[in-house]
Amino acid sequence: MSRRAAGLAWVVPALALVGVFVYFPLVENFGFSTLKWDIFSGSQEYVGLGNYAKLVDDPVFWTSLRNNVLFAVVSIVFQVFGSLVLAALIEGVRSERWQRALRAIYFIPCAISLTVAGLLFYFIYEPNLGLLNHLLEAVGLDGLRHAWLGEEGTAMPAVMAMSQWQGFGYSTLLFAVAIQRIPREIYQAAALDGTGPIRRFFHVTVPLVREMTGVLIMLTISGAFQVFNEVMVMTSGGPNNSTQVLGTWLYRSGFVRNDFGYAAAIATVIFVVTLAIAVAQLWVARRRRVEW
Amino acid sequence: MRPRALTTFAALAGTSVLALAGCTGGGQADKAPAADAAASPDYSGTLSILTKFAGEPLEPYFEDLAAEYEKLHPGVKVELIQETDQSIKDKTKTLTASNALPDVYFTWTGTWAENFVRGGRAADLTKVIGPGTEWGKTFSEGALSAFAYDGKYYGIPLYGNGKFMGYNKAAFAKAGVEVPKTFEELIDSCTALRKAGYEPISFGNKDGWPALHYMQQLFAYDVPTATFEADLKPATAKLDDPGYVKALTRFKTLVDTCTDTKTGTNGVLYSSAQEAFADGKSAMYYQEILEFDNETAEGKLPVGDFGIFQLPAPQGAAGDATIVEGSPEGYLINAASPRIPLAVDFMKFVTSTKNAQTLSAPPYGQPSTVIGAVTPETSSKAVYEGIELVNKAPKLAAWLDTVTVPEVADAWLSGGEALITGSKTPEQVLESVRQASAAAK
Repeated sequence: MSRRAAGLAWVVPALALVGVFVYFPLVENFGFSTLKWDIFSGSQEYVGLGNYAKLVDDPVFWTSLRNNVLFAVVSIVFQVFGSLVLAALIEGVRSERWQRALRAIYFIPCAISLTVAGLLFYFIYEPNLGLLNHLLEAVGLDGLRHAWLGEEGTAMPAVMAMSQWQGFGYSTLLFAVAIQRIPREIYQAAALDGTGPIRRFFHVTVPLVREMTGVLIMLTISGAFQVFNEVMVMTSGGPNNSTQVLGTWLYRSGFVRNDFGYAAAIATVIFVVTLAIAVAQLWVARRRRVEW
Repeated sequence: MRPRALTTFAALAGTSVLALAGCTGGGQADKAPAADAAASPDYSGTLSILTKFAGEPLEPYFEDLAAEYEKLHPGVKVELIQETDQSIKDKTKTLTASNALPDVYFTWTGTWAENFVRGGRAADLTKVIGPGTEWGKTFSEGALSAFAYDGKYYGIPLYGNGKFMGYNKAAFAKAGVEVPKTFEELIDSCTALRKAGYEPISFGNKDGWPALHYMQQLFAYDVPTATFEADLKPATAKLDDPGYVKALTRFKTLVDTCTDTKTGTNGVLYSSAQEAFADGKSAMYYQEILEFDNETAEGKLPVGDFGIFQLPAPQGAAGDATIVEGSPEGYLINAASPRIPLAVDFMKFVTSTKNAQTLSAPPYGQPSTVIGAVTPETSSKAVYEGIELVNKAPKLAAWLDTVTVPEVADAWLSGGEALITGSKTPEQVLESVRQASAAAK
């Protein structure tokens, strides 16, 4: 067997598996999104782009999309820029032992499953027994008590806060690794030139971790459009659809409203958005390579 | 991805969409074979059953039955898929969409069961369970007819259910209030109960459907029955009766006056509200008969302190004050099952008098629909009293989320949540339901 044939023999099974389990369902989903599908009788009526037209007129779809965008913006602020600052602070700590301890403290929430974290925060936010309202009461801020997940004004921020808490440590750790890769000599030279820590952060750290920043921005946006677990566990999209995101509206359309064709159309929208982000990520990663 | 690769991918995806759309249009699920439900069973193979009995204390009921049946028929293996009230909806739909329904599966009444019948997924059991048949005679007629469509009988009713206000007799005595006879008296009693140190009514609407249960009973009181029944079907719905706004207003009054969580009630779990009542912190809790025995389980409310009454009707309401909210729940047999006679035999075993009595007694407390299974001797006092009230009611109002089409049920669900938070008025809620109903035509 030639080397080329041997190589193909190794690659083809993997390609077939990826094709069957990744690409075929994607394509199949596009097909489903053009159908009015009654799962009970199995009848499938071709409606072309009808489900996509329905999306345009669906106020809950727009609420969901808006919530995803909001999720992305908040996540970029906290999980990218916030964690960059935090990582720089941790790496500035002189004691190696403290550095390790701080990294572990921030990373631990990432090791908890989203479902468990969602449930945990559900009980923190619970209006009668929850820790948050008790804490507010204890410090004399009774007026700030809320049914955090039960009110339309507070439910989405409460879910997003939990999500930031959960994801913050992951990006902090990645930034910490990126900062460690920056040659110490650059910092030493900057220090000799008399630059303070803030200027060093903006003129050395930020430019030299831009590759990681770009990757994390893309991952964060992509993650924000795939949000599902935390919303499902904490609010199921309620109250009054105020916390619906595309993932939960997809689920509700299919499994509660029996409209599987429409759910497939929402899935297509999520796919297109995340695909666009993935393409942009590849493009950014290639153009913004940092070399020294 | 290079532009050329992206273009290739898009072309591939587009072509596949068209190809799939072409080949799937008009596709049908596997149609039911003409299996004879009355045939003698072949006692061999695996019988799969999807129940709504997951979790304590219900889980052992079907497990014990399966073990006993396997002992009686060594060639048969009973495979149980046990789900909770919340998870069974998704499970059933996933199995339906993938043509993988088990031999026997749980169902609610109303449009929920009708979907399976209409889709040819439920076996016609008229010959074995219809009125006048030996097996059929063991059930109350009302329970059997709840699963009848176009004169054919499809369902095996396992237990009856109804919704009542559970109350803490000691709390009522301490507050000096009597069991309210009208909705207005119920609201008035909340002030005295609060003064006595209780949350008058604990209520958790995190999942949305608990609000629908209040709303459904109030609609039955405030909207003329014929009008309401016509409004459940999008084809005949007008949803313009003034009773709807009255009922929604009353519901909002109850939430704001009688619960401690008020506009934040959507943030409370149904089970947390139930715990508050069972722990003696709240004086009332609106609940199903199926939950009665949980309230008086060990370490909870003393049996003597637990009482029930029907959610009282408002004075001068235009609907029917005798309607009780509730409906039986049961099982369908998969029309595509190759073991229909065996499935029938197993369900006959499940609904035998002995097993029906076990089901009706603590710790299960699921009042069987088998005649004579629920007696003061076999069931707890509250379960017996509840099922008697259900049996005496001239008409039942089934759960709003199973009796109308899903889009409309979903609009009621969101509307109930919005009403609680105060973001929508009763008129706005009704308008959103009207729009959903019009879109579902």
